[in-house]
Amino acid sequence: MRIAGLGVTFFGLLALMLLLLILPFAFPFSTSVIVINLLFYTALAYSINFITGMTGYVSFGHVVFLGIGAYALGASADVYGLDPVLGVLLGAALGLVFALMIGLVTLRFRGVYFAISTVVIALAALNIVLELPQLGGSQGIILNLGFQPYSWYYTIWGIVLFEMLITYYINRGKLGLGIRAIKSDEDAARSVGVNVSALKLYLFGLSGLFAGAGGAVFAWTTSGVFPYETFSLNFSLQMLAMIIIGGVGTALGPILGAVVVYLPSYYFLTVAIGTQLIIIGFAVVVIALFIPEGIVGTLKRRSASLRELLE
Amino acid sequence: MVALAVILSDLLFGIMLGCVFAVVAHGLNLIWGVVKVVNIAHGEFIMLGAYGAYFLNVFGGFNPLLSAVVDGALGIFVGYAFYFSFLHRELRGKERITLRSEMVTLVSTFGLSLFMSNLAVVAFTGDFVGINWSPGTVALGFLELPLGALYVTILAVLIISTSVVFLDRTYIGNAIKAYSQDITATQLVGANPTKVASLATALGFSITMAGGALLTVWIPTGINPYMGALYAPISFVIVVLGGPGKMLGSLLGGLTLGVVIDVLQAFVPVSLAYAVAFLLLIPVLLFRPEGIVK
Repeated sequence: MRIAGLGVTFFGLLALMLLLLILPFAFPFSTSVIVINLLFYTALAYSINFITGMTGYVSFGHVVFLGIGAYALGASADVYGLDPVLGVLLGAALGLVFALMIGLVTLRFRGVYFAISTVVIALAALNIVLELPQLGGSQGIILNLGFQPYSWYYTIWGIVLFEMLITYYINRGKLGLGIRAIKSDEDAARSVGVNVSALKLYLFGLSGLFAGAGGAVFAWTTSGVFPYETFSLNFSLQMLAMIIIGGVGTALGPILGAVVVYLPSYYFLTVAIGTQLIIIGFAVVVIALFIPEGIVGTLKRRSASLRELLE
Repeated sequence: MVALAVILSDLLFGIMLGCVFAVVAHGLNLIWGVVKVVNIAHGEFIMLGAYGAYFLNVFGGFNPLLSAVVDGALGIFVGYAFYFSFLHRELRGKERITLRSEMVTLVSTFGLSLFMSNLAVVAFTGDFVGINWSPGTVALGFLELPLGALYVTILAVLIISTSVVFLDRTYIGNAIKAYSQDITATQLVGANPTKVASLATALGFSITMAGGALLTVWIPTGINPYMGALYAPISFVIVVLGGPGKMLGSLLGGLTLGVVIDVLQAFVPVSLAYAVAFLLLIPVLLFRPEGIVK
């Protein structure tokens, strides 16, 4: 299989990130707040893309890492007065550790068994947190970190940039070949010498790390951690919806999906919150049944020239 | 002695709770076992069944047991509609379901669950509602058993055992069993795979929605658009505990879960009892992937 050089899309994404770097200085503040939310959802989409997009293991319970990250920042800032940026790093580290622990067990299960074990773990995590008085139980933790839009902005920006670079690094390297082999036929990949378990665990760890970091930023920007909100399966569902609509496994798909899912919901926010989820749900059904490769995947398959362009 | 009575009553309530869990999971078990597809939106169809019972009660004065029959009949149509819109394209002409098709069905039914639960908020509002039906209690030694729960337990066992007899003793039931074992061979002996698979799906939905109606007896104030998010995972755990496709497995899994939850509640907070019950799935998948009983 030929791996083409870095294409237009890569430099386009880099240019976009550079533009976003100076955005807070060029535009009024309300714009940056929208972009912070957009980047937050982009970060989540890239995070789940590492496991579900790249290997085809559907992680319905991915919100568990977001919750762990959020509580890491919440508890460390609340009890020890830790700097929120360090809290984000702690969230990422705990996300990684938990992903490795959970992945070590659940990645042995294939297909639907993996999917349901992740759902069950996310629900169990919520039920356990509710009974931990150290983490505020069902009340959660209310933080008083103040309004720090620049720090929020550049933290989440950095997370997304890292995710994009790692996505490219994986997709283009030898790792990517092994991972694509797992996605198309895990047993065949194993038999030709791909270290299947290690690769899957590596990807799951990465996705847990970034979901943890994203969750910590979420706690930071909302200045609080509330169990039902941070462990809400709606987050898992939105993450999945974004990569399914954008195109699973691709480098462009997650950000495209985040834009397509988040921006309309931002405008519809004033109409009705439930309506957007109805539309997202419907879109996921239609896309999964009729164009399972999502926007990017379908464009790549339809046209050879676009295929080069969208790599 | 008092402690013993408490544990005994917990055990009995656990068994009754387990039976209602079992019937709620049974439809999923049938579909999972026969067409090898897991419906992630399973919980939303339970929710639909529960709301069906609620509205039949409000507008028609039906009690939940009667509503279960109506829901069950409606479920047949819903099941056929589900089969032909979600599964037919993936299953048609295949000897066994591919991993790719499995992903498609997982993701599309997940979209369906998001769609249905949020549409239900718009249609039914997000308020918790319930059915006010209490046929009284019956004394059993030192225990007072609610009659409603007792009826539900009997009906649950009846539904599950009927499905076993149906699959074992009727021609079409045998065809469904054959389909679950070998699709090509089923075709060779003259059964139309689409007819068989769609019938099994329709029956699964019928039982699921009837189960939703029966569940309302246990949750006097708990019918709401998001209830599926709790009962779907419970059903997944039950089916895995019992072994997908083993009809009596639903009963076994449901009873295990019900007893574990009710007995643990005597010692730890409710949410921890549920956490433990959910996590039972992991060791079972690791060590007994074919279910706790071979």
